[in-house]
Amino acid sequence: MDLDFSLVEQGFREEVRGWLREHVPGSLPSMDTPEGFEAHRGWEARLAEARLAVVSWPEEYGGRGASLVEWLIFEEEYWAAGAPARVTQNGIFLLAPSLMRFGTPEQRARWLPRMARGDDVWAQAWSEPEAGSDLAALTSRAEPVPGGGWRLYGHKTWSSRAAFAGYGFGLFRTSGTRHRGLTYFLFPMDEVEVRPIAQLDGLPGFAELRFDGVCVPDSMVLGEVGDGWRIAMATTSSERGLTLRSPGRFLATADRLVALARDADPVLVDRAARCWVEAEAYRLHTFGTVRRIMAGQELGPAASMGKIFWSELDLRMHALALDLLGDRAEEWLDGFLFSLAGPIYAGTNEIQRNIVAERVLGLPR
Amino acid sequence: MNFGFTDEQLALGATVRDVLRAHCPPAALRSERRPAWEQLAELGFFGLMLPPEADGLGLGLADVLPALEETGRACLPGPFADTAVVAGPLLAGFPGLASGEVRVAVLAPGQAYVADADLADLLVLAGPQGLRLVRGKSARLVRRDGVDPGRPLFGVEAEESEALDGSAEHLLARGAVATAAQLVGVARQLLDVSVRHARVRTQFGAAIGSFQAVKHQLADVAVAVEFAAPLVWRAGLSLDKGGGVPASGRDASAAKAAAGEAATLAARVALQVHGAIGYTEELDLRFWLARAWSLSAAYGTTAFHRERLRTAITGGEHPRRYP
Repeated sequence: MDLDFSLVEQGFREEVRGWLREHVPGSLPSMDTPEGFEAHRGWEARLAEARLAVVSWPEEYGGRGASLVEWLIFEEEYWAAGAPARVTQNGIFLLAPSLMRFGTPEQRARWLPRMARGDDVWAQAWSEPEAGSDLAALTSRAEPVPGGGWRLYGHKTWSSRAAFAGYGFGLFRTSGTRHRGLTYFLFPMDEVEVRPIAQLDGLPGFAELRFDGVCVPDSMVLGEVGDGWRIAMATTSSERGLTLRSPGRFLATADRLVALARDADPVLVDRAARCWVEAEAYRLHTFGTVRRIMAGQELGPAASMGKIFWSELDLRMHALALDLLGDRAEEWLDGFLFSLAGPIYAGTNEIQRNIVAERVLGLPR
Repeated sequence: MNFGFTDEQLALGATVRDVLRAHCPPAALRSERRPAWEQLAELGFFGLMLPPEADGLGLGLADVLPALEETGRACLPGPFADTAVVAGPLLAGFPGLASGEVRVAVLAPGQAYVADADLADLLVLAGPQGLRLVRGKSARLVRRDGVDPGRPLFGVEAEESEALDGSAEHLLARGAVATAAQLVGVARQLLDVSVRHARVRTQFGAAIGSFQAVKHQLADVAVAVEFAAPLVWRAGLSLDKGGGVPASGRDASAAKAAAGEAATLAARVALQVHGAIGYTEELDLRFWLARAWSLSAAYGTTAFHRERLRTAITGGEHPRRYP
């Protein structure tokens, strides 16, 4: 057992750190504004030029075949450098793992390099008005068109990035009930009716989508028809597991808090020190997870424990920032509002606790 | 980067688990002060961390963490950790340590009482003059009330003592990590027992473990243990590395505080899930509840370690996270 980085890993860290030091822009306008969206896409293009946008992907798609440990190092450096939030996140962290695993070679070649450069930004379309935590209750459907292709019908909501994204992905019913008969579709946003929804910060971070016979060719089906639930679960398991929230961002937040708390009231110092340790615990736990993945084990339902841990740590950290700064907390407000979404998205923490209880501990449904 | 136990470290843990299953069953907790001691001695448990010239294996703290976790799972009583892990390495010159014939108990820095002092041949006392060594025979012991029937506490007075080379700080850190590993084992056992109870106990025609109010409490325990354990492993590695004392003290305190909180949460939830039967002397659960409470206070309370973390993390020379 050890926690040592190899010389190659150290060299990689130094390269990433050096590049970020020279290239990280000052604060960009919010990605949920038209100009901010474009600015963030521009940043993604610069990252991609340095082959730093998707380091763990194969080279042919724009990555550098980096190991998971190197990816974690990249994330640590990325957030420590105060680099911008990733406008490509839904694509590179949620869709891409599914594309790599279930996509055809043509689909991978067509979508992944463009995604890595920020040419295409993807919105996720899981939830519906009557299917949130109970995702299998979704009613949006796809009907086959004689001669090939599909028409999509229905109503999706809370669709992140959909106000500006060019493409989306989600589940549509092609037969059956509940988990059976769902199919994973990719779709262009042009024919979708998009109603942006302002979030707590007043900006349209998500949107409502209406599909009234949106045409998509067969090449936009990911995996087998009817196999969408399994593919989506593989995606959401990676979402909750490693890729959605790597330790780097929480380490960076905790480090900023510790610097802020230095001369604060001991009660606040104690909370800051606790956050620092908990971020470190998430980091160490992740190193353990990486070891298991590299040994060929699946993350499985244990990923839910991580999601509960980091999202609630993030809440505590941002609440502490507001307590430390009082009415001078302006730089933390976006992060504070975003932290409040953590226990809700990617499966609420109530659902995660059910998963831990039933599928990790073996309690009855 | 390879953050997980090796096959050898896990095998040692599994061997200790098998020995304790056979020789430290719950019934032994009611009748014996140091069950399984002889069997552990035969296994070489007390020489694990001694140097080869003292008939030991020269293992590090990280090597023995899975084994220590098993002692917590079994609620093993007796001064085994002080003897084999915490003080043993300071006393390597004493004959009879590796064989388990000599037993050691420790007064940790800042503590008032010594657990299991009546069973000890040697007492290591941390005080204002550093570490002192006292022969068990020459010490006057006064039994004090404690929360844990398996870890009786004693006030110790001694006229004769000798100075002992070694750092009290290091003794405290090693004791804190060894205790934290036991606490992780205690917490895991409390969780397992509670889950088992919640699956079979029915009310309103359903297993109580099917109710979300119960599920979520148990899930919280699982999360607390899951994220305390890596802090304990990390602390073991830090101490074995030596050198970086600020970091190893910080890591030991992080481990002890997190493991203590996870175990006391596990105890609290275990009692709540069991209901009234859990609040009885008759149910074996009481031994693990008591161990969670008593070990949380051993080698520094959670508050003590939180205070040290404040200093280590927000004080002057905070070691950077990244190499």
